[in-house]
Amino acid sequence: MAGALPIRDTARREDAPWLTLKMREAMESWLFISPTLAGFLIFFVGPLIAVVWYSLTEWNLLTQQATFVGLDNYSDALFRNPDFWHVIRNSVIFAIGLVPLNMALALSLALALSGRFAGVVIFRTVFFAPVVTSAVAWAIVWKFLLQGEAGFINQMLASIGIDGPNWLREPNWAMAAVIVTRVIKMVGLNMILYIAALQAIPRDYAAAARLEGASGWQIFRWIIWPLLGPTTLVIMVITTIGSFKVFDHIYQMTGGGPENGTLVLAFYIYQQGFQFFDVGYASALAMIMFVVVMMLTIFQLVLRRRDT
Amino acid sequence: MTSLSLNNVKKHFGRTEVIRGVDLSVDDGEFVVFVGPSGCGKSTLLRMISGLEDISSGVLKIGNRVVNETPPARRGVAMVFQSYALYPHLNVRDNMGFGLKVRKVPIDERARRVMEAARTLKLEPLLDRFPRELSGGQRQRVAIGRAIVGDPEVFLFDEPLSNLDAELRVHMRSEIASLHKRLGSTMIYVTHDQIEAMTLADKIVVLRDGLVEQVGTPRELYERPGNLFVAQFIGSPKMNILPVGSVAKALPVRPDSAAHVGMRPEDLKLTDPGSGLVSGKVLLSEYTGASSLLHVELPDGEIFLVAYDGPTIDADTTLGLTIAPDRLHFFDSAGQRAS
Amino acid sequence: MTASLTRRRIRIINQICWTLALCIVAIPFVFPFLWMVSSGFKSAAEIFGSPSLVPREWQWQNFIDVFKHQPFARQYLNSLYIAVTVTALTLLVSSLAGYALARMRFAGAALVALFLVSALMVPEEVTIIPNFFMMRWAGLVDTHWPLILLPTFGPQGIMATFLMRQYFLALPKELEDAGKMDGLSRLGVWWSIALPMSRPALAAVAIITFLNSWNLFLEPLIFVSSLDKFTLPLALSNFTDPYGMPLWHLQLAATSLAVIPILVVYIIAQRQIIESFALSGVKG
Ligand SMILES: Nc1ncnc2c1ncn2[C@@H]1O[C@H](COP(=O)(O)OP(=O)(O)OP(=O)(O)O)[C@@H](O)[C@H]1O
Ligand SMILES: [Mg+2]
Repeated sequence: MAGALPIRDTARREDAPWLTLKMREAMESWLFISPTLAGFLIFFVGPLIAVVWYSLTEWNLLTQQATFVGLDNYSDALFRNPDFWHVIRNSVIFAIGLVPLNMALALSLALALSGRFAGVVIFRTVFFAPVVTSAVAWAIVWKFLLQGEAGFINQMLASIGIDGPNWLREPNWAMAAVIVTRVIKMVGLNMILYIAALQAIPRDYAAAARLEGASGWQIFRWIIWPLLGPTTLVIMVITTIGSFKVFDHIYQMTGGGPENGTLVLAFYIYQQGFQFFDVGYASALAMIMFVVVMMLTIFQLVLRRRDT
Repeated sequence: MTSLSLNNVKKHFGRTEVIRGVDLSVDDGEFVVFVGPSGCGKSTLLRMISGLEDISSGVLKIGNRVVNETPPARRGVAMVFQSYALYPHLNVRDNMGFGLKVRKVPIDERARRVMEAARTLKLEPLLDRFPRELSGGQRQRVAIGRAIVGDPEVFLFDEPLSNLDAELRVHMRSEIASLHKRLGSTMIYVTHDQIEAMTLADKIVVLRDGLVEQVGTPRELYERPGNLFVAQFIGSPKMNILPVGSVAKALPVRPDSAAHVGMRPEDLKLTDPGSGLVSGKVLLSEYTGASSLLHVELPDGEIFLVAYDGPTIDADTTLGLTIAPDRLHFFDSAGQRAS
Repeated sequence: MTASLTRRRIRIINQICWTLALCIVAIPFVFPFLWMVSSGFKSAAEIFGSPSLVPREWQWQNFIDVFKHQPFARQYLNSLYIAVTVTALTLLVSSLAGYALARMRFAGAALVALFLVSALMVPEEVTIIPNFFMMRWAGLVDTHWPLILLPTFGPQGIMATFLMRQYFLALPKELEDAGKMDGLSRLGVWWSIALPMSRPALAAVAIITFLNSWNLFLEPLIFVSSLDKFTLPLALSNFTDPYGMPLWHLQLAATSLAVIPILVVYIIAQRQIIESFALSGVKG
């Protein structure tokens, strides 16, 4: 080809001939990840180290000075401050109430909605809608619905002759209310994860079992449920961790009250750190939360590895 | 004139060495085919030439430039991929012109070159279609067109026809052959298909475990395989190998160092039992249309393959096999050709 | 014939029962939205008076008062531009890093990936205190910077990075090789080959990131104090009388204004949005 030469020439000029291909690749790679990596170091690694340090100090509000106090903040939490165990108890109750309820409801809805019939899409859309709604908005509306005398729920109950409690003013009812409204808000997420898992199960399995005369319940118990095992595990851990992190919902609905009845760990950290400015103590609490979440995650990884 | 040369080229991924020292020189305009068992490093070697894989050690020259550290697009090579790798969001015209556009070739020059390549490959009516609207063979032609447009010194093909059906494969094979004749460029071609290798190649490179076993013309490899591996790899059905000892009496002449003797199935002739080189019992006769393939069991249990053209032979028939002396291949105890 | 007829009838009855049951379960999912909107239209007097879904008198005035009570338009805009910025930044940063982790070979790649994954395990609450002091030191408290930077580079962004990485890994590699042969740089391959083929993953990241930013609460609560810098979730909790008691009619009107546009988009694109969450959930 005659007209070819100029192209060959441009094609041969190199920008930086002294660079080896390997160096080029490495350089470009680091450029690609550098924003993420820098952000990770600045907003995550640094603060994580700092929070360990803070947790070992006592912060003086007046002088703005930190003094090293060793493990005092931790022993404060674990041995001296009764609030701490109260908060842990609340968090555990919250998790124990929320996780099974959420998962059972999610699985039931998923089983009902994994097939194809008219209305499936509408129901899925409905059950998932609270997930995309802001937790604050959701909490505001429910707080309104759960007002003492004049709230809609109690008015409805009154109309059938039941004298409803002042939901958000009594510790136990408040906890129950927070759990249930949180489940309604978040169950859609687990529902779609379960639906995805159910749809990934080949139909042949159930068909084969049915040919062998298995009932619907037997098919679920002996085929579907074991196959959902890994999904169930992941959902369980994600939901448990999520329940330990819940903040906005409680902040808005009960503000941790009444009588600290819904004061959970994430809220307690916020309260100690940003309302009472007890930075050292709040940091120790944050570390404790870190350890709890870490243990849950590792627990999940170990179980998952054992499965495969 | 040498168009491309590799000098003790090596490649390792982490700690595993995949290419273990390859020397090769390719002349201008030559059609070179890499063959070898799966995983032997054919694709890796090709990708090293293209620049998609870096070279761990050794020297790669294209023309008379060392291009070890030259980025792919600046080596003067073009590649045709097994999956064609056409950009799904561009039509045929833009697919073919993309490389020129990246290299900032002026638009009219670009259009001229795309048209020229399209004419060569009879792609003109398809220029405005998108890849998903093309058949496999058409996509293949576009992929080749894309390579032609950049006017490379060396074309690289990695199993370009393996996704086509048998008939189209034969057709595209002849198109590639005529394209090579027309362009006169150097081409390096990886394939699993022996017929492709034999028909297309000026020179075949047999690779095994990252090493070159033999380089030669198709005829050389077939008629004078350099070692046992090549002897058995080239030719189908594959060559029968016996230890020299087991047929020593019947062998006319043989080199002193010979340890193994090889006989191609198509060179063997049938005779009466006991009169030939070896005798055996027919286990199975596979009729393939043009001829039959006999599986003959020798007394020591070895299976011999014989290509046979004649009336049906029943299983369990005992027969003798003979061969012209110049059709015997001898190998020494190290597996190298002995002569 | 009759057998199949009755079987069909059983199936239809079954179907109706299921649908009815699901409708009942759906009440607590749907009713709060309806009640929210209806109460937003009620007057302060009526709001506790009648348990009726249809207001006696439609108080359009509420939706005007919402903007008078505090700079609600400004706050609305804040939420919008912050969410858009965070989304754009996250898309950029996470697809770059995800691409490098999926496709490029460099010493330390595995280690970097491991480090980043570990960040996914740590809740924001753990690092929020030092982050607050850092922002204060940098003079960024009561600005929108923390609300942009923390979600982009925090667990959210890293989650997005891995989502992108997973997607890139599944793309055909030869296409990118062809791009390189054609003379594209790495950046060029990323931009004109990898990204156009990753639309579903990009959409998922965009949807989830936008919603997360739009609904973010802890960070605004901690970092922002001036009314005109508030974002929506913060503004919503701020419709109170001078004694701190909620002005329900305004609060619910404002909440309706904040929630309804999202719901409308959600209903239009529900399939895409739900799939996005499924995609990211499987990874997490
Ligand atoms: N990116 C990589 N990382 C590690 N090992 C690799 C990589 N690419 C290839 N290999 C290994 O290198 C060897 C050669 O691979 P290559 O693809 O070159 O074989 P091939 O001869 O083309 O095989 P095939 O005929 O199956 O295409 C194989 O063992 C393969 O596992
Ligand atoms: Mg290969």
